[in-house]
Amino acid sequence: MTNPDLLALITTLKMAALTTIILLLIGTPLAWFLAKMKSRFKVVIEAIVALPLVLPPTVLGFYLLIAFSPQYLPGQLWQQATGQQLAFSFSAIVIGSVLYSMPFVVQPLQKAFEQLGEPLLEAGAMLGAGPLDRFFNIVLPITKASFITAASLGFAHTVGEFGVILMIGGNIPGETRVLSIALFDHVEAFDYAKAHVLAVSLLAGSMILLASVYLLNGSKTKTAKRVSNETQP
Amino acid sequence: MKLNLSFTIDFRPFNLAIDQELSLEGITGIFGHSGSGKSTLLRAIAGLESVHNGKISLDDCCLIKSRDNKIETFIKAEQRHLGLVFQDSRLFPHLNVLNNLKFSTKRCQHSRLNFNEIIKLTELEPLLYKHIDELSGGQKQRVALARAILAEPKLLLLDEPLSALDRKAKTSLLQLMLKIQKELQLPMLYVSHSLDELQQVCDNLLALSQGKVLAYGGIHQIIHQLNQTENDHFIHQQTSLSLPIKALSNDHGLAELSLNKHEQIYLPALKEHSVQTKCQPDKQSLRCFILARDISISLTEPVNSSIVNHLLAKISKISRQGNKVLVTALCKSIEKEQEFFINISAFSQQKLALTIGQSVYLQFKASAVRTYLY
Repeated sequence: MTNPDLLALITTLKMAALTTIILLLIGTPLAWFLAKMKSRFKVVIEAIVALPLVLPPTVLGFYLLIAFSPQYLPGQLWQQATGQQLAFSFSAIVIGSVLYSMPFVVQPLQKAFEQLGEPLLEAGAMLGAGPLDRFFNIVLPITKASFITAASLGFAHTVGEFGVILMIGGNIPGETRVLSIALFDHVEAFDYAKAHVLAVSLLAGSMILLASVYLLNGSKTKTAKRVSNETQP
Repeated sequence: MKLNLSFTIDFRPFNLAIDQELSLEGITGIFGHSGSGKSTLLRAIAGLESVHNGKISLDDCCLIKSRDNKIETFIKAEQRHLGLVFQDSRLFPHLNVLNNLKFSTKRCQHSRLNFNEIIKLTELEPLLYKHIDELSGGQKQRVALARAILAEPKLLLLDEPLSALDRKAKTSLLQLMLKIQKELQLPMLYVSHSLDELQQVCDNLLALSQGKVLAYGGIHQIIHQLNQTENDHFIHQQTSLSLPIKALSNDHGLAELSLNKHEQIYLPALKEHSVQTKCQPDKQSLRCFILARDISISLTEPVNSSIVNHLLAKISKISRQGNKVLVTALCKSIEKEQEFFINISAFSQQKLALTIGQSVYLQFKASAVRTYLY
């Protein structure tokens, strides 16, 4: 792997790790809110969260590019706060990735919270556990596998991003040039040997990550059965 | 301890509207058929259900107060210091038995109870390191009961904790409840649709029907009152008794309960250890019941019958319920007159020409005297 490719790998890992952390911090309360929500507007929020699954990445990228530009409010606010332009920056690709990978984190967590239901939380409350205590000592340990699944899918999906990053980040080495874009560069330059190295690395990395997720899902099914046995009369 | 209930909850197909003060001494039962609102009432007391209008207070502490769907006071479930044992044990599947119990003690603010003593009392020592999956239904409920006690609640709520258990497990848990109540002096509110279970352990009974209070009072009195409920085929009409034990096992393998100076009630022999739970040191008594369908009436003393129990009684009431007749008869007992309830057919009533004030003999087998407590 050449130095520019190594730099792209570091940028990719940095972006994916930061995106995953942000997604877990934002996605967990959002998934909890959706799991507990009984309003008819729930479907609207669910559709918005799931939109990146069906929307072409370039569409999302295009609108983000406009929003991040200094002519529009989000871009202006960012510039006022940081003194730097948002579009074509590392921060821009992280924000874009958070939005683009949101359903991969929110959906498994929402499903886990819905499956857990109220019974065990009510039991916790009756033993004197407050809301945060219940979340960290009942919800989190029981849905641990779903958190690992959500984080893995969010990370893997962010690593594989192309369209959104190309639109809002461009191709700045060390800043916005990620592996998928580096691969595209090699193909455009007919340097298939270097393209193969990156493609095989991405393929192998994704395979290992997904295999780990499925392995974890096996034990998660067992836990889910235990939970459902405990909460069903 | 007084629990003041004065509230309504929108509860389809009818409203749950309760206005009753409960005196929480010993075990108070809440009886009602499915959908009568008894579990909703318990959840409202626990803080898991909101009330739409009214107030629930425990002694001087207002747990919830609301007016026209607007909540004015609400103490969260985790701050009420009430324990709740659910129908499904709701043990935490990621923790073993010991850690389920520790979950409770870690959050308990008083620590007045000794952990090891409660483990001993609930006989959980052999199960402490077992996973929840490895426990039977009865064992799970025993762990749930111990976990609730270890939180040291002011009041323990029990929501049909025996409904999914077989008779043996029910017996064991009922005995345990009595033992806990006696040793810890912990008031309990016990919801069940089984009058037989409630009869065995409760001191007082609140009967609900379609979201309203049907009756409240001493257990025997309310059970006898419920016998008269017309068109309710789900109530096991019965005679509820609490009588002194004369012998746990006589020469013929029967236990004897004293009804009065001269008359005894015979039932299958009792094991010594099991009765101790409900015994008082000075006056050992046994809680038992006889289903109205298990008693028959004879106009002459049935001396040549294999049936061991025959009591002289005077008919005080005859009520026709369809093709059946419920006869109420009074027998002399040590303290006051004891009511007995007898189901006979309208045909038998006509044949025997039974009338109020008539003296008759009531007869029932020893095995018809039922108790869960042995």
